[in-house]
Amino acid sequence: MLHTWPPFSETRAEEVQPIEAAFTVAPDILAIEGDFAYGEYLSSECTTCHQATGANDGIPGIIGWETEDFVIAMHAYREKHRENPVMQMITGRLADDEIAALASYFKSLGE
Amino acid sequence: MALNRRSFLGASAAGLSVLAAPTVQAAGHGKPRVVVIGGGAGGATAARYIAKDSKGEVDVTLVEPTRTYYTCFFSNLYLGGFKSISDIGHTYGGLAARGVNVVHDWATGVDRAAKTVTLAGGATLNYDKLILSPGIDFVDGAVEGWDITAQNKMPHAYKAGSQSELLKAQLAAMPEGGTFMMVAPPNPYRCPPGPYERVSMVAHYLKNNNPTAKIIVADPKPKFSKMALFQEGWANHYEGMIDWIGEDFGGGNVSVDPGAMTVTIDGEVTKADVCNVIPAMKAGRIAEIAGVTDGNWAPVNAADMSTKADPDVYVLGDASQQGDMPKSGFSANSQAKVCANAVRGALTGSRVFPAKFSNTCWSLIDTNDGVKVGATYEATDEKIAKVDGFISATGETSDVRKATYEESEGWYTGITNDMFS
Ligand SMILES: Cc1cc2nc3c(=O)[nH]c(=O)nc-3n(C[C@H](O)[C@H](O)[C@H](O)COP(=O)(O)OP(=O)(O)OC[C@H]3O[C@@H](n4cnc5c(N)ncnc54)[C@H](O)[C@@H]3O)c2cc1C
Repeated sequence: MLHTWPPFSETRAEEVQPIEAAFTVAPDILAIEGDFAYGEYLSSECTTCHQATGANDGIPGIIGWETEDFVIAMHAYREKHRENPVMQMITGRLADDEIAALASYFKSLGE
Repeated sequence: MALNRRSFLGASAAGLSVLAAPTVQAAGHGKPRVVVIGGGAGGATAARYIAKDSKGEVDVTLVEPTRTYYTCFFSNLYLGGFKSISDIGHTYGGLAARGVNVVHDWATGVDRAAKTVTLAGGATLNYDKLILSPGIDFVDGAVEGWDITAQNKMPHAYKAGSQSELLKAQLAAMPEGGTFMMVAPPNPYRCPPGPYERVSMVAHYLKNNNPTAKIIVADPKPKFSKMALFQEGWANHYEGMIDWIGEDFGGGNVSVDPGAMTVTIDGEVTKADVCNVIPAMKAGRIAEIAGVTDGNWAPVNAADMSTKADPDVYVLGDASQQGDMPKSGFSANSQAKVCANAVRGALTGSRVFPAKFSNTCWSLIDTNDGVKVGATYEATDEKIAKVDGFISATGETSDVRKATYEESEGWYTGITNDMFS
C-alpha cells in the first residue's frame, strides 16, 4: 500500500521527512486496537514538544493523523528509517501496542 | 509490586483494571485535595495535569509567590539578545481557567502529621497529597566571599527574572575590552549545560558589541556537559575570547570580593568588570522545612516521585534526588506527569500507568548553531535509571545545527504550553 507524506495539510511538508517507499509495517501490527486512555497518558511525553493544538513551530504538529500513517511514522523512527535522534530514542522504547495507543489518542485530538 | 514494562504489558492483555489503585475516600470532606508548592517546570505541570485529567474530581491548589514565572530555559538566549524578557515570562491565568486555585504566596511551613501547609500570608491549607517543586536554593558559604546579599554586585542569574535583567545590564555596561568572569558550580546543579550555554551567549553578545572583551570561567569540575561541543563552538565562533580554568588548574580554589570586584583563582587575583557567581545548590528551602530532605536534596521513589520520608509528599524537579536524570525543566516536566498520573490514581481510582521519563537539553552556541543531548529513563526499585541516550556530534553541518536550534524553539513553545495553557 502506498502512503503519501505528509498525511495532513496541517503539517508542512518540508518539516517531515519522506518515508522510504520500501518501509512497511506488518498488517497485524497495523491492526492493533489502540488503548485510548493509555494513549492519553503516553501522549504527555510527546506534548512537551509537539503542541496539543497541532501547531507547527519548529516541531511538526501530530494531531488528527490517520491511525495508519501515525503508526507507520513511529515504526519508521523506531527502525531508524527516519532520522532525528530524539524521535528515534523516544520510539525506541515504545512497544507496538503503545504506538497503537498513541495513534488512537492523537487522532482523536484532531476531531 | 515493582512495575516494569514487561509486567505491565502482561497485565495490559488481561485488562488494566488490575493496576488501578483503590479509591481513597477523602475523610471528612468532599473532594480529595492536592496542594502543589512552586509553580515552575515541575509544579505548574503537575497542577495542570491533575486538574485537566481529573475533570473537577480533585481540588488542586498551586502556591507560587511570583505572578510572572520567568523561565530559566532560554534566559541565556535573552542574555545573548535572541529573546526579550517578555518572551520568557509566563502568567498563571491559563491554569486558573483550568480550575487550579492559584494562590500567590510563599509556603512557610508544612505539618505532615496534620497534613497542612501554612502560607506567609497566614492562611492554612489542608491536603491529602502534597507536591513540592520548589526548585533550588544556594548552599551557604559555597563560594568564599559571596552570599545572597552580594547578588546585586555579583549576580547568579540562576533564578530567572530580575537577576537575568541585572546581569544583562551589567554586560551591556562593560567597558571596552573588559573582563567577564564566571564562577561555575560543582555537581549536581540545575541545568548541566547552563553555565556553558551562558558563556556562549555572553561571547555572542560581546563579539558583536565589545569584541576585545574577555571571558574567564573558574570551574571546580574537570569536565562539563557537552564539553567537546562547546569547546569546538568556542574555537569556531569566539577564538581567543574564552579562558576556561578547570579543576586541574585551580578552578575550584576560588574566592570573591564583591566590594573590590575581584576574583581570586588559585591565589591569583583578577579584577572583574562583571562577575557571575553560580554557587553550589540544594533543594528549595521548603523541602527541608517539610523534613523530606536528606543532605541537600529530597530522595524520592522513582515509580511516582513520592518521597522516601512520606508517601503523601512528593518532590519533583531540581529539588528531588531521583537517580540519573539531569536537573532540567524538561526532566521536571516529565517527572510531573508521572507524579500527576499516580496522585490522581491514588485519589480517584483512575488508571495508573507505569512511569516513563525522558529529557532533552538543547543549547545555543551562536546564531543557528544549536546542539542537543537527551536520554530516556525508567523507574527501578532503586532510582530513575537511564535507558538510552544521544548527543549531537562535533563537526555537524550548519544545516543540522540550524534544524536543532529550530527544534529548540518548538520545544520551548511546547513545554511552556504544557505548563501554563
Ligand atoms: C541559565 C539556565 C538555563 C537553563 N536552560 C534549560 C534548558 O534549556 N532546558 C531545560 O530543560 N532546563 C533548563 N534549565 C533548568 C530549569 O530551569 C530547571 O531545571 C527547572 O526550572 C526546574 O523546575 P522546578 O519545578 O524544579 O523548579 P523551578 O522551575 O525553579 O520552580 C520553582 C518554583 O517554586 C517557587 N517556590 C520556591 N519556594 C517556594 C515556597 N516556599 N512557596 C511557594 N513557592 C515556592 C519559586 O518561586 C519557583 O517559581 C536552565 C536553568 C538555568 C539556570
